[in-house]
Amino acid sequence: MKPGGALLEAEGLVRRYAMRRGIMGRAVEVRAVDGVSLKLERGRTLGLVGESGCGKSTTGRLVLGMETPDAGRVSFEGATMPQPGSAAWRKLRARMQMVFQDPLGALDRRLPIATQVAEPLDIHNIGAVSERAARVEALLRAVGLRPDQGALYPHELSGGQRQRAVLARALATDPALLVCDEPISALDVSIQAQVMNLLLDLQEQFGTSMLFVSHDLRAVRQVSHRVAVMYLGRIVEEGEPDAVLHDPAHPYTRALVSAIPHPGRMGQRMVLQGDPPNPADRPSGCAFHPRCPVANSLCAREAPVLKPRADGRLIACHVAHGEVAAGHGFTGQEAA
Amino acid sequence: MLRFIASRLARAALTIAMVVTFAFIVLRLSGDPAQIIMGADAPPEAVDAFRTAWGLDEPIWVQYFSYFWAILQGDLGRSMRDGRDAIVLVTERIPATLALTLPALAIKICLGIPAGIYAALHRNSLADRVVMIIAVAGFTVPSFVLGLLLVLLFAVQLGWLPSGGQESWRHGILPVITLGLGGAAVLARFTRSAMLEVLGQPFIRTASAKGVPWHAVVTGHALPNAAIPTVTIIGFMVGSLIAGAVVVESVFSWPGVGRLLVVAVANRDLAVVQCILLLVAITMVCANLIVDLLYGLLDPRLRAAPGKAA
Amino acid sequence: MPEAPLVLAASTAPPKRRRAAAPALVIFGMAWLMLMLAVAVLADVIAPYAYTALDLRNRLSPPILFGGTWIHPLGTDELGRDVLSRLIYSIRTSLLIAFGATIIGAAVGTSLGFLAAHFRGLVEQAVLALVDFSASLPFLILALAVLAFFGNSLGLLVCLLGLHAWERYARIARGLALAAGAQGYAAAVRGLGASPWRIYGRHVLPNIASTLIVSMTLAFPEVILLESGLSFLGLGVQPPETSLGSMVGYGREYLTRAPWILLTPASVIVLTTLSVSLIGDWLRDGLDPTLR
Repeated sequence: MKPGGALLEAEGLVRRYAMRRGIMGRAVEVRAVDGVSLKLERGRTLGLVGESGCGKSTTGRLVLGMETPDAGRVSFEGATMPQPGSAAWRKLRARMQMVFQDPLGALDRRLPIATQVAEPLDIHNIGAVSERAARVEALLRAVGLRPDQGALYPHELSGGQRQRAVLARALATDPALLVCDEPISALDVSIQAQVMNLLLDLQEQFGTSMLFVSHDLRAVRQVSHRVAVMYLGRIVEEGEPDAVLHDPAHPYTRALVSAIPHPGRMGQRMVLQGDPPNPADRPSGCAFHPRCPVANSLCAREAPVLKPRADGRLIACHVAHGEVAAGHGFTGQEAA
Repeated sequence: MLRFIASRLARAALTIAMVVTFAFIVLRLSGDPAQIIMGADAPPEAVDAFRTAWGLDEPIWVQYFSYFWAILQGDLGRSMRDGRDAIVLVTERIPATLALTLPALAIKICLGIPAGIYAALHRNSLADRVVMIIAVAGFTVPSFVLGLLLVLLFAVQLGWLPSGGQESWRHGILPVITLGLGGAAVLARFTRSAMLEVLGQPFIRTASAKGVPWHAVVTGHALPNAAIPTVTIIGFMVGSLIAGAVVVESVFSWPGVGRLLVVAVANRDLAVVQCILLLVAITMVCANLIVDLLYGLLDPRLRAAPGKAA
Repeated sequence: MPEAPLVLAASTAPPKRRRAAAPALVIFGMAWLMLMLAVAVLADVIAPYAYTALDLRNRLSPPILFGGTWIHPLGTDELGRDVLSRLIYSIRTSLLIAFGATIIGAAVGTSLGFLAAHFRGLVEQAVLALVDFSASLPFLILALAVLAFFGNSLGLLVCLLGLHAWERYARIARGLALAAGAQGYAAAVRGLGASPWRIYGRHVLPNIASTLIVSMTLAFPEVILLESGLSFLGLGVQPPETSLGSMVGYGREYLTRAPWILLTPASVIVLTTLSVSLIGDWLRDGLDPTLR
């Protein structure tokens, strides 16, 4: 499978949740994802970064078809995503898989690892039954586990080994798309790098496309070919990882980048002011304006559109596009 | 708070509607309701008249609503045995049952709750062990066995008390004790575990670590919190006042609602059975409603956010 | 620790002493339950007489301890039927009903709980309304009403008692299935493309089995008590069949003259419910602290 060509396209995804205050309380609508479009090419990785609650995990589930968007559409290999739970949808699971933040929770603690790695093969009836043991062995080797560890139960493995087991299970059907939702954040720092390298190796070996969801900009940069930054349900900046990291254009990206600990850049950290974002109480205009150090009065009134700059970088910011001069922000005062 | 009360009322009404529906379905499934209600030897004209009166020749959903409507008007049919209104038959038995269940309820509360609290506060002491053994026995010894053992001891062997009937207040002593002891054991066990759970909570430790005197910790913090689950059980007991003595009334030949129910079931006197079923459901639902509202008083969180009550 | 001594005593000391005390009783409970099961299975072999066999020359003969003979070790009743034999068959009937009913309750409740968790929406609301309905009526009254409407048969009795604790299983199954589906292994397996049958049958059910088994152990004695209560009232098991409760109900007539007819089955009921309760409490404390 050669790289290039769109594997996955999502357009204008919206996902609303009704949050009730009490049984009889009025339902408050929360837009977890608010108009996200993205495109993933074969054999490539797209990184999705943002704070917790920004809708990046929901985007991951929408793209996988685990949830149905309230608006917008997802197409995978040129076909529209079927209804979740339908036979066609279940069949499609063989082509797209998910890797979870908590590998212990994602594994059935009552079944040995090998049985669980073989499960997608059983479900989708792939290969002869007699060949499955060999296939499981090969998968375990591919993710860096010993075949004899297949007899162990999840609690007998370390965190990193469990995540490897989850990866082996996800790769069993040779999927075209892998959505990794914070796959390393529950792991020890020393293990994180190993799993990241494993993901890179596996992509090279299997040609799998990946959507890599994480709050960690550095991790995303390490594995991604493109990176998209999300804030309160919308993508605010998208571009090449190195470029975004070295020259962040959106003030929110800048804040994220400056929060990365850096030996030679002491004292330059830009600390975000104001309340952390609350999807139930979305600010007017640009959702970031109450925390933005350069926000102007326009930012409080009008939401910026995600559009390309001259160099092709996608940015949703009035100031970055030069539509308005940098202001002094609204931090410290009551948001409009 | 108003909204909270409204939602509870709606739920109570729904539950009663479900009981009526249940009675309707079961009644229809068990045969021709006209024949059953009127009795097998009723004259055919009477059965036909009943059919037209109750609209049994109408489509099923019309029947359902007219059944509902009749019940709303208090028309619960006639007893097959003596032809009197079922509702009259049942209500005239209620005082006798309450004469047993009300004193028994007092025994349950006055004996069970203090015993449970004491056992929890002196966990693993001799008193705790004794209370727990009695409490487990109270659960595992069925009321008819307890009742018969009491008869054997106090009526047959010692001859102190009568073994059955309702001639004087002395006849009520054994049934009240039988009912009260069993319930007290259940309540003691429940109160103890509720107390122990609360005593293990961090806020209790915090309170005592802050130097609040222990008796103040217990009365000010532990008891009100342990009261919340205990109130549920008491609510259930209050709800069972009318029909909670089915077995005990039979043991002691006490002419209450429970005895009436058993006889009605044995004779398949359906109107009476259905009447008792509805009456019990209404009492139970009302008791639950009161418990829910009491929760609101005991737990200020529920007043602010009724959603958490579910 | 800086806490007040009483708190310390209440919160830290107990577990050890309690664990030390429990097993002896639990072992007794298990032994008794084993004995009852053996009696139930081997009833035909070990019962000295048929449970309906009359011995008119030895009517109301007392048990050995009360001066009786070895012909009828536990005495006889008014018709000269051997109490031991009747007891053995009663144990079989009562255990059979209790097992059948407990399994039916667990199966119905668990299935409804899974349905509620899987379909959510209207199905879930309907199941929860049914749960409310069950909780709003004392079960004995409900059972009596059904028996009045439908008459009596052993099959109906088992099914009826099976409905006894269904709402507990339904609550547990729904809650745990929702928890498993929200973020855990069930969601993961669904993401693999597994059918609902596979998700619930192969993954969720084995994972919540221990909790369900504990609930069954706690419900079992209640079913025995209900059955014996109904049979005592003459509305449960019907003659010539006999159960522990109907033996007590029958023996009640001879309370003054032949108390053994009543006392033997009564003590078997008490010992059996006690044993299963002890085992249930012990299992709950050991396996599943989330249940109360």
